[in-house]
Amino acid sequence: MFKKILVANRGEIAVRVIKGCREMGIGTVAVYSEADRDSLHVWLADEAVAIGPPPAVESYLDMGRIIAAAKASGAEAIHPGYGFLAENSAFAALCEKEGVVFIGPNSAAMELVGDKVRARRTMEKAGIPIIPGMPAVAKNVSDCETAAKSLGYPVIVKASAGGGGKGMRVVHEAGELAPAVEAGMREAKSAFGDDSVYLEKYLEEPRHVEVQVLADNSGRTVHLFERECSIQRRHQKIVEETPSTALTPALRAKMGETAVKAIQAAGYNNAGTVEFLLDRDGRFYFLEVNARLQVEHPVTEMTTGVDLVRQQILIAAGEPLSLRQEDLRQRGHAIECRIYAEDPRHNFLPSAGKVVVLREPKGPGVRCDSGIYGGWEVPVHYDPILAKLIAWAEDRELACRRLTAALDDYVILGIRTTIGFLREVVNHPEFRAGRTTTAFIKKHFDGWSGGEVHEDTRRLALAAAAYDELARAGRPREGAGRGPQKDVATPWTTLGRWRIGGAGPDGI
Amino acid sequence: MEFKFLLDDEVRTVTVERKDGALVFREGEGTLTAEVRSVSENELLFVSGDRSQRVFVARDGKRKIVLAGGREFVLAEPDRGAGRGDRRDKKARQGVWPVKAPMPGKVIKLCVAEGEAVRENQALAIVEAMKMENMILSEVEGVVKKILVTVGELVDAERALIEVEAKA
Repeated sequence: MFKKILVANRGEIAVRVIKGCREMGIGTVAVYSEADRDSLHVWLADEAVAIGPPPAVESYLDMGRIIAAAKASGAEAIHPGYGFLAENSAFAALCEKEGVVFIGPNSAAMELVGDKVRARRTMEKAGIPIIPGMPAVAKNVSDCETAAKSLGYPVIVKASAGGGGKGMRVVHEAGELAPAVEAGMREAKSAFGDDSVYLEKYLEEPRHVEVQVLADNSGRTVHLFERECSIQRRHQKIVEETPSTALTPALRAKMGETAVKAIQAAGYNNAGTVEFLLDRDGRFYFLEVNARLQVEHPVTEMTTGVDLVRQQILIAAGEPLSLRQEDLRQRGHAIECRIYAEDPRHNFLPSAGKVVVLREPKGPGVRCDSGIYGGWEVPVHYDPILAKLIAWAEDRELACRRLTAALDDYVILGIRTTIGFLREVVNHPEFRAGRTTTAFIKKHFDGWSGGEVHEDTRRLALAAAAYDELARAGRPREGAGRGPQKDVATPWTTLGRWRIGGAGPDGI
Repeated sequence: MEFKFLLDDEVRTVTVERKDGALVFREGEGTLTAEVRSVSENELLFVSGDRSQRVFVARDGKRKIVLAGGREFVLAEPDRGAGRGDRRDKKARQGVWPVKAPMPGKVIKLCVAEGEAVRENQALAIVEAMKMENMILSEVEGVVKKILVTVGELVDAERALIEVEAKA
């Protein structure tokens, strides 16, 4: 087993991987850009190496610097997290060449599935259903125009190297195509360093259902069931759950088998996710393979009891897969929501700045994977994800209630976040009924502003502000007396008591 | 004691007085009587009879951010923010209108040129922040008077990007 692993990422996922390593008795090396000097992952790792200026291309995407950091610190393996270099086959190949283990698939399989166009062809050959689309990357805009005409609108522009909604644009009519292709190329270029895009037929209101797979280095493969990720905004998942309300046991088994077949067709090893679109008639189409640990992996961990990061590390170390398909079960229901530094009341504008107050929820069945702490300044340079809140319970309704209560207890002040928005999504009757499709947010939350504020609530807020002024005025000023008189938040004044109020007047 | 706060571009006045061990807050037409407990540095409990409400208060520079009843409120000192012109109502939109960056980010595209006529809600520029492109729209119909930034430039929130002269 490895003695030391370098985590080539930042934020909540770096924290997640560092914690996983620690549980396995493996030392950790964090890397950080100048903007992340004080970030949580840097604090938590055993060692930390500075790798460059804030822009990701000069730090987290700089393969040479990351390899050099691994060598200098004596790390035997690199965990890439998600995003950045996680699905960069050139990086996986460089690791192979430099004798550092890349915790992820082999570079050849990654290259194949990472090239969305080639992956589609491979899957088609293996008999896996695919969505109609361009057989190759678009050479130019007019190429797209021809393809769009034959596919019929609406179409979707996708980054060939992409994922996470970056570079994606839905186009409903010919007039919108050229600007969408150009914007898609720019976004793809800045996110992945590769501006190739292609078009696919856009299915209206499908569900996004993906299957988690683990494959060891000798090709032994199991699936860990599905995750439903239909709740998306701008093609970015915001709420994910498992099991999916749309699958029957028979369909679940069929999709699981298909996912395993897809992974084997690609010669893939380590953890991967096979994404499908599921239409209203229960037909599913291969979308892509995500060659990384997914943001939403915790819901699978909560329901199967399998630690996916640990499995990734074991596989990368060459251990045979100890899990057997027939032993894997889904237990209960888990829902995750992503907490972004975005202002949902103002068109989800990114909201960088200082986290002045932070209270993370906890309790039975509540998991908070977080990359932030109170007093930390959220930098503008990276993805706006701050944390993920996951609730597990015996069934879906109980998981929804647990998640809502946890969102009520979640306090992040100083920057705008999506917490209030997510609470309304989870509370929406259509969500509660399990009628989730990729059109859900557009259909039910377009132009959402959170509704009117009750006059009593506003008065309470003003009263609290007034009280705060009053209390501060009554306190001796810093430097006025002898020695510092500043109120220092010690654990003795904050521990324990804050839970007493619970969720407020209604209780939990 | 009297306190003034600027909330959603309106000045609100709160008076506080002590009465029988509780505090009485008056604001506008309404009154709130509660015993207030400071639970931790940023957390207050308003107890009125058998009802208790938890409120968080954060201080960020001159701003106060309050979380009450699941809603967030940003309060400023009245004299500080009163002159902020970014929420002037439509009738007042005359003269030169500075279009500001709504968040810190990088200007990746300028969609208009100086002297160009623009419609309301026409895209003027694209600012990228946290890896997403954000369209900066014109709030008025008019003519682009001046472009104050260049492509590739990093801008702070509230930085004026483009001046649009509103159509008279």
